[in-house]
Amino acid sequence: MAASARNRSLARPLGLAALYAILLGYAAVVVLPMIWLLYTSLKNNREIFASAWKLPEVPHWENFVHAWVRAGIGRYFLNSALVTAISVALITLVSAMAAYALTRFSFRGNRVIFYAFLAGLMIPSQLALVPLFFLVNAMGLLDTYAGLILVYIAFSLPFTIFVLSGFFRTLPHELAEASLIDGCTHIQAFWRVMLPLAKPALVTAAIFNFLGIWNEYLFALVLISSERLRTLPLGLANLLMVTHYENDWGALFAGLVMVMIPTVVAYSLLQGQITKGITVGALKG
Amino acid sequence: MKRDARRAVILFLLPACVLYAVLFLYPVLSSLLLSLYDWDGFSRQRHFVGLGNFVRLLSDDPIFWIALKHNAYLLSVPTVIILAGALFFAAALTSGIHGARFFRITYFFPNVISMVAITLLWSFIYNPSFGLLNAVLKPFRHGSQPTVWLDPNHIMGSLVAPIVWCSLGFYLILFLAGMENIPSTFYDAAKVDGANTWQQFRSITLPLMWDVITVAVVFLVIGGLRIFDLIYVMALGYPNEQSQVIATYLYEQAFNNAHMGYGIAIAVVLFVLVFAATAIAMRLMRREQVEY
Repeated sequence: MAASARNRSLARPLGLAALYAILLGYAAVVVLPMIWLLYTSLKNNREIFASAWKLPEVPHWENFVHAWVRAGIGRYFLNSALVTAISVALITLVSAMAAYALTRFSFRGNRVIFYAFLAGLMIPSQLALVPLFFLVNAMGLLDTYAGLILVYIAFSLPFTIFVLSGFFRTLPHELAEASLIDGCTHIQAFWRVMLPLAKPALVTAAIFNFLGIWNEYLFALVLISSERLRTLPLGLANLLMVTHYENDWGALFAGLVMVMIPTVVAYSLLQGQITKGITVGALKG
Repeated sequence: MKRDARRAVILFLLPACVLYAVLFLYPVLSSLLLSLYDWDGFSRQRHFVGLGNFVRLLSDDPIFWIALKHNAYLLSVPTVIILAGALFFAAALTSGIHGARFFRITYFFPNVISMVAITLLWSFIYNPSFGLLNAVLKPFRHGSQPTVWLDPNHIMGSLVAPIVWCSLGFYLILFLAGMENIPSTFYDAAKVDGANTWQQFRSITLPLMWDVITVAVVFLVIGGLRIFDLIYVMALGYPNEQSQVIATYLYEQAFNNAHMGYGIAIAVVLFVLVFAATAIAMRLMRREQVEY
């Protein structure tokens, strides 16, 4: 980082110790609830209510079993994995195709279509919510994954096309043209030459869409009603409401831990890419 | 264009355009139309009421104004805290201290967690019987009654903390990138002129970062207007007048009370507010471009 050479020190007016105290203090605000959540998920009800600080006498692993099996977190987990995987794969493909056509070919209506997609970035999803419910119902797709996935794809297009077309513009024309001269069709040129080149942008877009869809709540709430089709956010919210009556807090803590694990793992593996993606997306946009 | 190229363009564009037109543009546009009707969503009949829904909403619906007030609170108070905090931390982490990477990674971490999970976590933290917050505050309470953080008097203030907690890291990353783009020669020159840290921040960092800060303000304001998950889940699906916001009120009117036309009218107002707030924020923050 160039910053160290900069020597523009906040430390002087504040005192280095005070600066570290503030930084560590906020780090504690972020981390402490997580640690508390972790060890509380191994307590039974009595221990949870007795003291927030005490560690469990014996770890109550059965909380995790209850959450996974009885509270259905296991099923919601698989549901979310399925919906998210299919959605992200299709969003990436469909957006890449569209972004490629919009940046690589000049044809009438090109600008209009591009700006129509871009306009979607300004529109809050709530504006479409109610008619969407009736539309998906009329298509016979209410309370199905197909309906939810199609809606996720449609609402991810503006962002993804925006990011990918920005990237396709930076790629040299000559590569695709060379492959066309070699006898490739446009589809082959796209699939074999341009897509592999666009991999960094595809991965960045996919990470953001993964996080967005894995965590999405409102569309799932409106479009999914069956208990067995619930995604994780739906199942988790429902578990909270049920726990207020059934009073199995240990299982709820355990459920929350399990919900966070894949995001924690994804984050620790991909944090560099995520932060780079934010910077590029927001500063250029 | 050659035939092969034209076929490729159509093939490439078709899936995205069809999905977008049918599932995005069509519902958005029909919202604008349906907001002019009185409709329960299930009967065949829709009564055209013109701007009636909007007139009722703005002149005869106290809950809408309460919700709006809550949105105003939740888009202003956390915004100020997040901007100040993220700018401070960004300045701190670019000053060459040890562990900058650790702090950056830690602070950003809550941003990737789902809002529903964050809501659950904070409802545990605030829980009056076993919550972490009251346990932390116990030594300072001197035996007085523990605070019920989510009761009507405290809930709005209590919602600020999870909002700040889950989004500060994003703005930190944004500001870090902005600050790293500023050439260090500017600060060297300022130091030669005898400028102190605050003067350097005010006359170099702030003006050169203004565009990035504008983007941040726009994001935060839009986020504060659209807020739904936190309120809805915290209230166990039934927000009352103490925490109702526009998005939860829209949901309640449309899906719980079967006032579809009215709910859609609320959504249209939300859209107009998002649009207007963005325009106002950009306008207020507009400054002359600084080239560097």
